[in-house]
Amino acid sequence: MNKGYFLKGALILLIPWYIIAFSFSMPIVPYPHLVLKEVFVELMRGEVLIHVFYSLYRVLSGILLALLLAIPLGIVMGLKDSTNKLFTPIIYLFQPVPKIALLPIFLVLFGIGDLSKILIVSMVIFFPAVLMIKDSVAEINYHYVELSKAYNLTKREVLVDIIFPSILPSIFSTLRISVGISLSVLFFSENFATEYGIGYYIMNSWIMVNYLQMYTGIVFISLLGIFLYRSIEIIERKMMPWKLVEPSNRS
Amino acid sequence: MIKIERASFDYGPTNVFKDLNIKIEQTDNISIVGHSGCGKTSLLYCIKGLKELSEGSIILEGITQKDIGILFQEDRLLPWKTVKKNILLGLDKDLPVQKYIDMVGLKGHEDKYPSQLSGGERQRVALARVLIRQPKVLLLDEPTANLDELTKESLQDSILEVSNELGMSLILVTHHIEEAVYMGDRVFMFGDEFKEIDTKGNDRLSEKYFNSVREVRLELKGRGDE
Repeated sequence: MNKGYFLKGALILLIPWYIIAFSFSMPIVPYPHLVLKEVFVELMRGEVLIHVFYSLYRVLSGILLALLLAIPLGIVMGLKDSTNKLFTPIIYLFQPVPKIALLPIFLVLFGIGDLSKILIVSMVIFFPAVLMIKDSVAEINYHYVELSKAYNLTKREVLVDIIFPSILPSIFSTLRISVGISLSVLFFSENFATEYGIGYYIMNSWIMVNYLQMYTGIVFISLLGIFLYRSIEIIERKMMPWKLVEPSNRS
Repeated sequence: MIKIERASFDYGPTNVFKDLNIKIEQTDNISIVGHSGCGKTSLLYCIKGLKELSEGSIILEGITQKDIGILFQEDRLLPWKTVKKNILLGLDKDLPVQKYIDMVGLKGHEDKYPSQLSGGERQRVALARVLIRQPKVLLLDEPTANLDELTKESLQDSILEVSNELGMSLILVTHHIEEAVYMGDRVFMFGDEFKEIDTKGNDRLSEKYFNSVREVRLELKGRGDE
């Protein structure tokens, strides 16, 4: 990241924060340097990292589970009209439902442990992922279908060499869009029946009127978001190297 | 080798061609010319088995569908595969890919992606992708349609060279009369009537070449086909 832009971005964030902290002069809005100091203190103590790892484990498991289900279903829906007609109304029905509204049901059905939280996160990603993958498969250029017939490609070769690379951009777009929402949903779900997770850490600090620690939790959930976004970008670059090359200007 | 007998092809309610009879022997190069929509490409697709005739039959003698390769009008390269991997699509990774890359004049481009190549280079990759499958018959669907004049001539020469070297017969579909005459030993004119002109042994500067081009042009103009 360009250092100049990083500095300018930090100033855009910190200047209003200092102004608000100075204007309110209340413990609920501490000065940024005090929060930064508390972040280091909490890092040294190490407890906050346990909460971060719990959240990371839940969100990564949720993403993985969502993709494991969405990729095959999206591909089949894109290829088979009958499957598409069967599942599309169901997906349209569930897609707009705020997933967090299903948390009480999930807590009862899947217990108060990690599973219900992981499932909630996976639902946030699953529905848009299925729709994006389905559309990508349906939009694969017919020329490639003829090509696969002309070259007698097996079903496996069509899947690996044509379909999967075609849906990769959709998968990464969905992840970039959904990761923020899935962290919000995770934050909320971690306030129920758990003593670990960054959501629990933030809300518990608030209840304990430890505002500096609460802000520390907010900083860490932001860092978790940055980590996930950067990881998605890195994996995307690794998996789609053809997107990075300089195109030829020759006709 | 390939016998097309009483072939008809309908596109919906429209009859595209009917009662077509052609016989193509091994190492025979034929060109098919005709106006847009006369069914030239459909005939190639039927020979390759990508479309079905409405009536009639295409009989393969001494060859199978796997011995027929097709070079499409568009290169149809997979943008996510390098030159080498595009050529090896669906094939054993140990095949001598470099030989075919060298054959089409793309040495040094092995690890490039299609977006890094020019139109002519991409079409050469597509040619190598067909050649590595060692077809006995190569179907060419206006393969130079999107190329500039010099690139077009260079690709035409490359195709003729490798087809001679590998003993393949060519079936070229084009609406460029000069290309049809240059590439084909026989030019087959599509339309309400089918007519064949022997154009064997042409080079671009010979008198016979110009006469053949003139003959095909007059024939097509006479029909209002061109």
